[in-house]
Amino acid sequence: MKPMKNVLLMTAALLISGGVAMAASAVNRDSEPRTLVVTEGGSQSELVVGPSETVEFCNSGCFVTLPNGDREVLTGSETIEISGGRGRIQ
Amino acid sequence: MPAQFPLWHVRFWLALAVLLQLAFVAPALAQGTESLLDSQRKEIANVERMVDRLARQVDEQATEDGKLVEIRVELERLAREVFNASLAFRPRLSEINGRLEQLGAARGEGEPAEPEAVLSERTRLLDEKASFNVLIGEAERLSVRISGVIDHIAQLRRDLFARTLSRRYDISAALNTDVAGEFADELLQVYRTVSSWLSFTVKYRLKPLMLATFLALVAALCLLVGGRRLFGDFIKPDPTEEAPTYLGRLSVALFSTLVPSASFAMLLASAYYFLDYFRLLRTDIAPLLFAFFTVIVLVFFVYRLAHAILAPRMANWRLLPVRSHAAGRLVALAGLTAAVTGFDYFMDSVYVLFGSPLSLTVATSLLATMSVGLLIILIGNVKPFSDDDGQPKSWPSKFRYLLFALGVTIVVAAMLGYIGFARFLSQQIVVTGAILATMYIGVLTAGAVASEGAFAKSWLARRLERYSPFDETTLDQLGLVASMIINVLVVLIGVPLILLQWGFRWADLTAWSYRLAGQIQIGSLSFSIVGILTGILVFVLGYFFTRWFQTWLDGSVMARSRMDSGVRNSIRTGVGYVGLVIAGLIGVSAAGINLSNLALVAGALSLGIGFGLQNIVSNFVSGLILLAERPFKAGDWIVAGGVSGTVRKISVRATEIETFQRQTVILPNSELINAAVGNWTHKNKLGRMELAVGVAYGSDVRRVHQILLEIASEHPLVLKNPEPFVLFAGFGDSSLDFEIRVFLSDILTQLKVQNDIRFAIVDAFAAEGIEIPFPQRDIHVRSGHLPVVGAAAPAAQEHSTPETATPGDAAPPGKPRRRRKADPE
Repeated sequence: MKPMKNVLLMTAALLISGGVAMAASAVNRDSEPRTLVVTEGGSQSELVVGPSETVEFCNSGCFVTLPNGDREVLTGSETIEISGGRGRIQ
Repeated sequence: MPAQFPLWHVRFWLALAVLLQLAFVAPALAQGTESLLDSQRKEIANVERMVDRLARQVDEQATEDGKLVEIRVELERLAREVFNASLAFRPRLSEINGRLEQLGAARGEGEPAEPEAVLSERTRLLDEKASFNVLIGEAERLSVRISGVIDHIAQLRRDLFARTLSRRYDISAALNTDVAGEFADELLQVYRTVSSWLSFTVKYRLKPLMLATFLALVAALCLLVGGRRLFGDFIKPDPTEEAPTYLGRLSVALFSTLVPSASFAMLLASAYYFLDYFRLLRTDIAPLLFAFFTVIVLVFFVYRLAHAILAPRMANWRLLPVRSHAAGRLVALAGLTAAVTGFDYFMDSVYVLFGSPLSLTVATSLLATMSVGLLIILIGNVKPFSDDDGQPKSWPSKFRYLLFALGVTIVVAAMLGYIGFARFLSQQIVVTGAILATMYIGVLTAGAVASEGAFAKSWLARRLERYSPFDETTLDQLGLVASMIINVLVVLIGVPLILLQWGFRWADLTAWSYRLAGQIQIGSLSFSIVGILTGILVFVLGYFFTRWFQTWLDGSVMARSRMDSGVRNSIRTGVGYVGLVIAGLIGVSAAGINLSNLALVAGALSLGIGFGLQNIVSNFVSGLILLAERPFKAGDWIVAGGVSGTVRKISVRATEIETFQRQTVILPNSELINAAVGNWTHKNKLGRMELAVGVAYGSDVRRVHQILLEIASEHPLVLKNPEPFVLFAGFGDSSLDFEIRVFLSDILTQLKVQNDIRFAIVDAFAAEGIEIPFPQRDIHVRSGHLPVVGAAAPAAQEHSTPETATPGDAAPPGKPRRRRKADPE
């Protein structure tokens, strides 16, 4: 029990000191995989989201091009819902 | 004015208002988006211009590290600006998307044509969105470009650093006689600058100067007094104490270094800040003052640290067991090394400020680094320890050779002209060495705090003990916590400080920590450390909440509802498990682990579980059934599978039964479910107890029956209803058998009742002359004669009959003879 307690306390201390980083997430409500183009910190990458899959990305702000060509900017705390190729930010 | 406003007036104004709104506000809305587009376009163009300018600056000033860092910070700000500029479109974009959705998709060929208004609105919205998209695309491109420039800067700075270290200077030019003169000139210039600034400030700006000094002193005093109050006993070693504890010495060393150094740094930093705030710093004096303050703080810190570790005047408080003489020398050498390094650093700022010739920089650094190298060799040469005979002994050979190697490297590098490298090395040895030493003391302190009983004896624990209900064990555990906090703090403060020393920038560190906290991808599996830690934390919180809820439910709610302990126990256990499961689930989802993945795993495992864990699962389910159905509860007296005893605890897998011999039997729950379980105390504790007693043949059985019934009814613990019953059980081999059957309200008292009744029977029978017989046998001899020995023989022979003597022959004559019983058959 004692070592476990140690680990827990260590965890708590780390959490308090480290702060919590966030990430944006994308949910694909379509039945086919959708591709997002994510530009984060100077690098562009394609993110494939499978059907009814949720992925987390974009820890500190990024540009996203949605499957229908719309562009969006994410600060890193939103959830994008993709349905019919369109995205809705929540 | 009329008392009542005419109604038509109201209508008129309302209509006018509506008209006005229609006339002006609608175009204003359109104008709103127009201006949004324009303003953001302007902003992005503006940022682009600034990025162009900064990118040019990067190429121009590729040799100055400080400038590059400034540009980088500026670029990071611009990147955020571009980002925010694009973010401004979001409300309007979602508005447009919503409207487009309402309008629906464009009709294809063959379908009836859409109304003109719908078509035009859709076109307008799509156009607007397209122009937004274009602008956001531009912003995206710009942000990629900014990132590229930032990467370029990082590359340039790496190159610059490598070049500084590897650049070779011509030291022969620096070693001519002119250098001394130039050096004196520079010093004179420093003196003139400072004195002119001082005389000007004192003459014309005395009030702000005094105020700044005063405020700085207040700030430093706050820290010093606060630190002293908090760590009072730790700061000053007590010279009268003969043998301070290891922990005591460590903490004194740590805090007597940190608190005064921090106060001193605070004094200088706030002095600089307030001087700057009151605009007392001229452009020529600010860098000088900054460098001077930095150097002073550094030297002070190193000196305090050496002093704290070596305690030259107080041998008891020394952390390293060195000789007193050597301790003094070492403190002096360490202080001197720091001072020389600091001097070099300060003079470098002076030269940069006054644009002095390179030869001067080279000469100063050459001398300074060579002195540092020699000082380090001298430190290595000190013989600080004592050997067995009390003679001075040098450092452990590895450490000594390390010092020698470092010193020689610095000296040789400086002499070969690699001044940059020598300087970097000597500065790192002083600064990084000091930080590492402090960290090491911190880690040692943490270890000492964690050792058993150390914290409980410390000053803080004594104070805690006075004001809190903590006992020794809790304090000891608190010591563990304290040690962990110290360790974490040491790492969190020390590592960034060292990294900053080694040329990393604050922005790098924060970026790293974000990356560490963010997602880690391994194949298709992604997780984040922070997520997992959050999950664990959430689980722990849920666990403690469950425990608290359990206690509250049991202690406050159920205790008042007068439920019996078994039900309470069941509910308590059930709530505990449910809470634990819920906490686990919440923890897992908080950790970002998808539960649907888990279901897949569970599906694959279920086959394995079916075979391998069959027993455990069956026991587990049985345990749940036991808790729900409650065939018995804690405290019941049960008989199951040859075990008879009191139920102590029903767990999920097994039930703990304590026999009356105080043996604990762990019975798997499935056995309690699958086999018959006898429970003496299921609904109530009422139970029947039987007690057999035999009387001799020939006794008055009615009298016996009456006596037994009286004894049974008179006992206070025997229930009147159902009333006691005495059974004439049968004609035994040696006795007439009776059985007393009584009902007891608590079957667990039966031993006491049995005792009482038996004592009473013996007493009553003795008084009434009723005999309790021994087992007896009549022996028939069918043929031959038994030779009878002794005086009684002739008489015996005379009365020889088929009925012979019984074993009771020797009994005294007065006692009633046991008679052969009549054959019951």
